[in-house]
Amino acid sequence: MKKIFAMLLALAMVFALVACSGGDNKAADDKPVKIGVLVADVSGEEALGFRAYYENYIAKNYGVTFTYTEQLADAAAEKSAIEKFAAQGYDAILSLSSADRATQIETAAANKLYYAVVSGMLDDAQFEQYKSNPYFVGQIGPSMQTEFDAGYAMGKHFADQGVKTVGIYGAFIPNPMHVYRTAGVLAGLGCTYGGASDKDGIAGQLFGDQGVDMSKVACGNVQVIGYFQGFGDTTFDELFGIVGQAPDAFLSVGMATTFFAEALNGAHISYADIDSFTSGNAANMKDGSLVYLAGKYSSSIGPIFAATLNAIKGNPVRDENGNALSLSQNYLVATDSAAFDSIFNGDKGDNPIFNKEALDKVIGKVSYSDFAALVASK
Amino acid sequence: MKTPILEMKHIRKTFASTVALGDVSFDVYPGEIRGLIGENGSGKSTISSIAAGMQKADSGEMLYHGKPWNPSSMIDALNHGIGMIVQESGTIQGISVAENLFLGETARFPGKLGTINKRAMVAKANEALRAIGVTSVTGDMNMGALDFQTRKLVEIAKVVMKDPEILVVDETTTALSQEGRQILYDLVKRLRDEGKAVLFISHDLDEIMEVCDTLTVLRDGAIIRHFTKDEFDPDAIRTSMIGRELKGDYYRSDYEPTHLDEVAVEARNIRLGSVLHDVDLTVYRGEIVGIGGLSHCGMHPLGKILFGALKPDHGEVVTGKGVRITNETVAMREAFGYVSKDRDVESLSLNASIRDNIAIAGMERYAVKNFLMLNGKEKAYVDKQIRDLSIKCADRDQQTSQLSGGNKQKVVFGKWIGRGSDVLILDCPTRGVDIGVKHAMYRLMIELKNEGKSIIMISEEMPELMGMCDRLLIMKDGRVMHEFMRSETLSDAEIIQYMI
Amino acid sequence: MESSQIVKRYKTRQRIIDVLPFFALVLLFGLFCAVVQAKGYRLDMYLKIIFNEGIVLAVVATGAVFIYTLGSFDISLGASTLFSATLGVMTYNATQSLPLMILVIFGVAIGCSLLSSVLASVFHIPVFVTTVAMMSVLSAIAAQIITTRGGALGGISIPSEVVAPLDNMGFKIAVLAAFWLICFFVFNYTKIGRRQKFLGGNPVCAQLSGIRINTYAIIAFVMAGLGVGLGAFLTLVYTPSVTATTASSIGMNIIVAIVFGGMPISGGPRSRIYSALVGGFSYILLNNILKLIVDSGVGYGVSQIVAAVCFLAVVYVTGINYRSKELPR
Repeated sequence: MKKIFAMLLALAMVFALVACSGGDNKAADDKPVKIGVLVADVSGEEALGFRAYYENYIAKNYGVTFTYTEQLADAAAEKSAIEKFAAQGYDAILSLSSADRATQIETAAANKLYYAVVSGMLDDAQFEQYKSNPYFVGQIGPSMQTEFDAGYAMGKHFADQGVKTVGIYGAFIPNPMHVYRTAGVLAGLGCTYGGASDKDGIAGQLFGDQGVDMSKVACGNVQVIGYFQGFGDTTFDELFGIVGQAPDAFLSVGMATTFFAEALNGAHISYADIDSFTSGNAANMKDGSLVYLAGKYSSSIGPIFAATLNAIKGNPVRDENGNALSLSQNYLVATDSAAFDSIFNGDKGDNPIFNKEALDKVIGKVSYSDFAALVASK
Repeated sequence: MKTPILEMKHIRKTFASTVALGDVSFDVYPGEIRGLIGENGSGKSTISSIAAGMQKADSGEMLYHGKPWNPSSMIDALNHGIGMIVQESGTIQGISVAENLFLGETARFPGKLGTINKRAMVAKANEALRAIGVTSVTGDMNMGALDFQTRKLVEIAKVVMKDPEILVVDETTTALSQEGRQILYDLVKRLRDEGKAVLFISHDLDEIMEVCDTLTVLRDGAIIRHFTKDEFDPDAIRTSMIGRELKGDYYRSDYEPTHLDEVAVEARNIRLGSVLHDVDLTVYRGEIVGIGGLSHCGMHPLGKILFGALKPDHGEVVTGKGVRITNETVAMREAFGYVSKDRDVESLSLNASIRDNIAIAGMERYAVKNFLMLNGKEKAYVDKQIRDLSIKCADRDQQTSQLSGGNKQKVVFGKWIGRGSDVLILDCPTRGVDIGVKHAMYRLMIELKNEGKSIIMISEEMPELMGMCDRLLIMKDGRVMHEFMRSETLSDAEIIQYMI
Repeated sequence: MESSQIVKRYKTRQRIIDVLPFFALVLLFGLFCAVVQAKGYRLDMYLKIIFNEGIVLAVVATGAVFIYTLGSFDISLGASTLFSATLGVMTYNATQSLPLMILVIFGVAIGCSLLSSVLASVFHIPVFVTTVAMMSVLSAIAAQIITTRGGALGGISIPSEVVAPLDNMGFKIAVLAAFWLICFFVFNYTKIGRRQKFLGGNPVCAQLSGIRINTYAIIAFVMAGLGVGLGAFLTLVYTPSVTATTASSIGMNIIVAIVFGGMPISGGPRSRIYSALVGGFSYILLNNILKLIVDSGVGYGVSQIVAAVCFLAVVYVTGINYRSKELPR
């Protein structure tokens, strides 16, 4: 009896699922704009800065509602989140999550939602595949080349200063962003990795090795005395192993200011990181031993919002062939407190670098080149 | 005339609409061992557990030394003079014997810096154990390392250590071997001689007649009759217990050892560590072979070896057709059945229903192509066993743990008999079973024998072995010491000299 | 004298506990529809999403019921889902053959499962210990393959058009129904299911009733492997890509689903094959209701806390009869 009941119930629910087709709640064109934001990181300094910029500054100045997802674990969670935004009558998706960008774009398009990449960039082949999709707004951010360059600039900065010994923190390799940055750092220091000295040569091997294999590192004047990555039970032991050897510099491709600032400041070891312009980092640079910071500023995600808003309002920004936006955005670098503060103070909550005045220039019917000019100007 | 230590007046206790005790009154006097006997559900455990603070009566009055007696818990009762040794295990494994004995009272042994003085505690524990005659256990041993019977002895020590005026012994002897029982018998006799009282609950009529001075029979929540020692008569006691005369003899009425010519199972040169030494055994069809001895004589492992559940170091078990029994599956294919001594762990899945327990062994009897389980056929199969064995239950889907000991054992019998077992290995089949069920089981064994089935009956109860078996093997220290053929003149004394 | 009244009360309570998961599912379903409607969202789309979120969990957990029934535990199911999907993707990319991909997915899933159980029986260690090891090994190998092959993309994928035609409700419902009915049949109407339930209740007694423990453990793991294979395939149908985090939450969610479905984690005779399906969807519904009601601005984790409280409540309710199963004597 119970089993029959169970089966009947299951059948009924299945039918309900299939048969249920509620009314279309999508409102008319003049409704307030609602944008869903996909996030994979909910607690990092950079992520919080981005969120504050959208939710406080942009939302207030443009009357747009931003809704953030919970931390998305995988591609299925991303797809499901987009579908939920569609069911809630949202207009567009801004993505800070990168488990499966292709599926994100396809899902957004299938649900008639505009879609833009906020952080990072698509792989070239992927961009080629989706650039003509009318729902794909585009991408403005650091490409893998930019990531490599940022690491390279960091490595070169210290090599030029004549440091003899360095320790390297590879953050969360095999995260592609960290792989390319680390590859850049090695190249910038004048090192080869498994004989390779170019971007793809080094990065390809790092992906394969799931990290830096110290036996494959060969350097000229600089000696890499230690390397570690990730964050777990042994992380601080590894850090102190390097600190104990008193390297001239400690180079991190991300997260060091979050995890190790106190330890490194305390040990007076000069360190460098790729992170963001936040108050914590301002203090590390002023009073601690942070000597180099390459970073994004929180409002760097302003232009892609403008492009998305344009698309929603019927003014899509496309190149002459009708393709989506793709603009690379470089990191800003500060090597002293004054430089840091000028960037940091210029991007404060009420008056960000990409403030309303700047963004208004590219809102409405504007061309691809207007956008390129705006992004390049900051 | 002595004044009673405890007076229980008009005690009533119901569980939902079931009356467990309906207006029961009786007194407990100093210097007596009073037996309480009755079938399962008769109320004997309920009345004693009320006295010992385990549960409360719905109405009625209790006086202890003339003053109102309302213990709030078993511990309260024990601290004020009434202690109870319960049927279930009340010890905690993983801590030491001493810690078990002084659970919640370790503050009595203060050490330095707020610690516990373990040495003093162990010494005190050893003292408590010696006091009841246990010498094989010391306070520093880990409880988990002890066997069931030894744990029970620790429990006894724990209660007796408090020097109760009334000691309640609830079916404790079923868990004990002959040695353990002797310790308990000596203890209760000593308490009696010291002017204390003992309430002794048991299913075992022979034991209760041996140990007790007076006997109270309960049935259906009421006192049926008090017996004084000179009135003790097994038939009269049995009759008052079950409320009717048992038809036919209790054991077999014939005294001729009989069997068919065909060999059913043969064990050759069985050796197992220091437990069994070159044991040979041949059982014929239509024969009941008894194996008796003290608990550790090796007869229990031998039962397992015969069923293929234990691998001997040397030797083999072969059926009459020449099939070697190497594991349980082969044994079952050859129509062997095994009723374990440890019924609740080895013979039944207590959380499962009666249906599951009976049906599990007999699938080839009702499953289509020995694979497909169709409800109708299975239900019919199970219901037949419930009917044939008169298993008292709400229905076949009742959880087995809810049954009384006797009915649980019937389920085990149903499991093996239903599938048509030709060779039944019964290890202590009547342990913890009341007299009515025992009687039914003996009838059943006789019936099976007459059908040509073979039964190997392992037991520590000499009377039932003598009463039921065609042939009786007495084991000691892993060896068969002597073989007795069925005879009217066979006596306990004759047998015991080979056991000890 | 049996305490028939108590038995009756016990049985009534048992019946209520048995029906409770269904009742909860219906209640949650109704509540979910009401919340979605009240918020003015599209219910049809939401129901589809719920189905897609729940189906992989329901399928993998239904297979896992066979393992849980034995009183055993497999923590590696999420990792084997990931691993078989990974090898499936590689197979497709190497051969462009969908049937071969499916074959590899199922083969790998069943293989992983078998390996856990065989290792456990060879080395005589509890099977869940081997599954802990399997979890680490499988996710490490999968991550290695994904990051090496995926490179800058962070994942590997098959072209979405390969499985797109299958990404529809009709197909998925059919697959779910077919798999569930097979499991239902095996669990309730064959010797296998019955013996496994008995084994879970009391392995010692089962062994002494002629049930070969290893044999039935292996069968249980094969059934779980089938569920994992199907789950991995359905994962690819939904999103044709695999990343190192794919299916990472499945392992834990299975336990939650099975408990929500009213089955004791200890397995045994009270195991129910419908637990995974009913509990899986209940859990997904509950999660979504909470997400809809609890504003994400309130703080991450609020909905998880509420879900955890519900979980404990369910364990408490389903455990009631265990605690009071013995009759007073």
